[in-house]
Amino acid sequence: MQSRVHEIRREFDRDLAGARDPEALERVRARYLGRRAGLLTGLLRDLREVPSAGRAAFGKAVNDLKAHVEEALEAAQARLVPGSAREAPIDLTLPGRVQRPGASHPITQVSALIEEIFLEMGYTLESGPEVETDFYNFEALNIPAHHPARDMQDTFYVEGGLLLRTHTSPVQIRTMQKRRPPVRMVALGRVFRRDSDITHSPVFHQVEGLVVAEGITFAHLKGTLAHFCRKVFGKGITIRLRPSYFPFVEPGAEYDISCIFCGGSGCSRCKGTGYIEMGGAGMVHPAVFEKVGYDPELFTGFAFGLGIERIAMLKHGIDDIRLFFENDLRFLSQFPG
Amino acid sequence: MKFSHQWLQSYVSIAEEPARVGARLTAAGLPMDGIETRDGDAVYDFDIFTNRPDCMNHLGVAREYAALTEAPLRPPSVSIPAGGRPTREVASVSVEAPDLCARYAARCILGVRVGRSPDWLRRRLESIGQRAINSVVDATNFVLWELGHPLHPFDMDRLVGGRIIVRRARPGERLTTLDGVERTLTADMLVIADGTKAVALAGVMGGAASEIGASTTNVLLESAWFEPVPVRRAARALGLHTDASHRFERGADPEGVLTALDRAAQIIMEIAGGSVTTPALDVFPRPLPKRVIALRPARARALLGLNLDDGAMRGALEALGFAVAPGRDGVWSVGVPSFRRDVEREADLIEEVARHRGYDAIPERLPVLPVEGGERGALDATIRAARRVLQSAGLSEAINYAMVEREDCVLFAAGVTAPVALTNPLQANAAFLRTSLLPGLLRNLAHNLNHGLASVHLFEIGTVFLPGSPLPEETPRLAFVQAGRGVPMHWSLPRRDADLFDAKGVAELLGDLLGVSPLAFTSDRIAFLEEARALSVTSEGQVLGVVGEIRRSLLERFGIDRAVFGGEIELLELDRRQGTVRRYRPLPRYPPVRRDLAIVTGPGTTFQAIEGTIRKHSALPIAEVQAFDLYRGAGVPQGCASLAVQIVFQHPERTLLAQEVQESIEAITGALRRELRVKLRGAEPE
Repeated sequence: MQSRVHEIRREFDRDLAGARDPEALERVRARYLGRRAGLLTGLLRDLREVPSAGRAAFGKAVNDLKAHVEEALEAAQARLVPGSAREAPIDLTLPGRVQRPGASHPITQVSALIEEIFLEMGYTLESGPEVETDFYNFEALNIPAHHPARDMQDTFYVEGGLLLRTHTSPVQIRTMQKRRPPVRMVALGRVFRRDSDITHSPVFHQVEGLVVAEGITFAHLKGTLAHFCRKVFGKGITIRLRPSYFPFVEPGAEYDISCIFCGGSGCSRCKGTGYIEMGGAGMVHPAVFEKVGYDPELFTGFAFGLGIERIAMLKHGIDDIRLFFENDLRFLSQFPG
Repeated sequence: MKFSHQWLQSYVSIAEEPARVGARLTAAGLPMDGIETRDGDAVYDFDIFTNRPDCMNHLGVAREYAALTEAPLRPPSVSIPAGGRPTREVASVSVEAPDLCARYAARCILGVRVGRSPDWLRRRLESIGQRAINSVVDATNFVLWELGHPLHPFDMDRLVGGRIIVRRARPGERLTTLDGVERTLTADMLVIADGTKAVALAGVMGGAASEIGASTTNVLLESAWFEPVPVRRAARALGLHTDASHRFERGADPEGVLTALDRAAQIIMEIAGGSVTTPALDVFPRPLPKRVIALRPARARALLGLNLDDGAMRGALEALGFAVAPGRDGVWSVGVPSFRRDVEREADLIEEVARHRGYDAIPERLPVLPVEGGERGALDATIRAARRVLQSAGLSEAINYAMVEREDCVLFAAGVTAPVALTNPLQANAAFLRTSLLPGLLRNLAHNLNHGLASVHLFEIGTVFLPGSPLPEETPRLAFVQAGRGVPMHWSLPRRDADLFDAKGVAELLGDLLGVSPLAFTSDRIAFLEEARALSVTSEGQVLGVVGEIRRSLLERFGIDRAVFGGEIELLELDRRQGTVRRYRPLPRYPPVRRDLAIVTGPGTTFQAIEGTIRKHSALPIAEVQAFDLYRGAGVPQGCASLAVQIVFQHPERTLLAQEVQESIEAITGALRRELRVKLRGAEPE
């Protein structure tokens, strides 16, 4: 009996190998598994007549053959009949699998962009403490005690006669104290003002830039700001400088960019002026050079500042500065990268 | 600050549309914030900078406009009829503190009838949002907004002896100011006193007792020049800020004193009657010298990067009221008008030239400097690398305020009992500087959970503040928190909550990717971490930080009701211990052989001990021992776990034989049974 099983198996394998199309495959299936005349069906019927002593061994052999036949037919079916694979079809609409990276904060992203622009131009990145002395935050920047300009910056004071820096400008002073010209630096960091509403946060981030060397001009300031603003907002941007007052620069300026929303024709975002305010700038005041021991006759320089949140708000259309500090993942995840 | 277009036209011809006027002045340094039309008049809102008190009035703005358009300026004509009673017969002035008051002038207007001002005057004041009060007060306010000089009218009959004494306040001296508040003065404040008492706080506010009212018949009018800083100090000390103090503390025009006095007297006489005493009293104990500044036109061109010829430069300065006297060697002597006390040195004159010309005229150039710099510092590179690692572990970056509650400082920083305090916090719960980044992150975590997020994984890189001298010690750190669903989340993976090993994994990844080696984790007691769920992260005995489960009892403060895991790492230590250049190791030339062991571990048996035993008892070199499954449940005794471990044998010089691997496995399993008393469920090839 066992030899009969082997024989059928060989025949089956041969027949199946010869089946080249779905019809041929069906004929093979009928020959072996047909309900009445199927060869394997016959073997199973024969099983009943086998004496009980050999029945177990024979049964196992027949069952193995049956499993082989079914499996082989299945495989052939999958090969010959399109769309018939028994493996469940894969739902290709399900999402793929990867560990999604978290988002860096939009402030970090804008800071990195700014850093790259200035690093390319050969600037150094400088930093300074967030808790500062009156000297670095005000005195050395030509803002003596009781100067009305102090009203412009609501200050948080820290016990021990210290304060939280109100701008990144103290880093100018610290950098000039430790280095001789030429100086080309930017400092990015956290600053503090005692003020809080939809456009003012008690904590925000600033960029401070400073270039000091022989022969630095106001035209250099203007060119540098234009280059920077075009790198951030696009080639078509124009900049405008207007006279302004910061005690540590003279001449002093505020700089605007042509409105990135309307291109300068005037819209609600630029209050019809065609310009958007960016920050303050100017030529380093000779009194500041005197404070750090630079000869104002020999060296000239320019300085500029701007708010990082402001850039991020303009770039991404964010209208509430407080969103930056809530750290809501529904906000952060909008800025992957 | 509000300015009326019609009012400005009294002093200069304006042919342009108001919008154009605003743009022109903006470009010259008087930025316009807005413009509105009111009763046929345009009202400008200009932002006048602190250094330009001379423009805080209509004549001043008209003067700027005239200078820019070359139109003539028409100041108001001021004349006082001669033949009045001499002022000294009815009043006296003595300045006892000439260091605080450089000039004090006064006139009296006798026999006035105080009443409602005429419509033209009311309209002027109301057009710029000022309230009309009575004819005498309105006249002085009008002059303030016309000429910019603050004046003060006293009811002369309330001044004992008709005397004006300008002196320092007596310590504790009291004065009820016009706003009805009784104020206690200090000796550094300047007062105007009569024969017996203080009647006004000089340059800040008058006294209620000598206020002009309906019954006033005789007026003593003050026009003075007070030293800026003391005015500012006094105003600040008393919490006052007035139109007068705003101007005096920025610097009034010492030569405008008499003009303003006469202008107001003239108007009072016109609208309230009475006769003006003449001549005025003018006590000028300390002349304020006229400033003359040397200007080098060549320097101006060099600083601006603008090729502006001498004639244009001189024209600009003269238009703005400066007196230019060219001298030898290309150095000019420039006389500064008395109303421009902000102009102190050459750079200021250069700004005048530039702003008169307009900054638009200056070209855009890039400086050419030697190539150097352009590099990031080491710590900066470490911070950027750490940020990438944390992001790649699925954490998003938070940025928090540095100001927190005292409790936050104390609970999350061992040994800090007196955190750095603010003296004027905006809110009581933000009065100290953070000593740890974790409280801020926990607040963010609570915010996110409360808004329905299922999985919150956040990190922050920032500074903490520890008490120090002379400045607090500012230490850069990174911290992270994880709660809710673990990452990655995917339909093909079982759902699981974040646990301690997520936090530990983050620290391990940091160590691996930053090349901090060796990195060790030691079970530790950390005040803000759960017992037996706290690890110190160390490298060669130096503590880098901690990871673990945040103590549940602390989470209530933040309104968090589920387990939170996280850690905090010192960035300076991470930076210091960071691997430098990675050295190449030759690749293995012979294949590895892997064997899996299923070890039933009892309580107290650690993976670390198992790995140690395996390595110690293997006769063959081991490349790696990896835990790949931990199973509890059916078939494993209660309290025990089945730990599946893969051992990777690899010999540097030859292919391993099945027989020797088997012998090594037997030696290892024997040792595990003997030394760790664990059961084994069979050692099988992979």
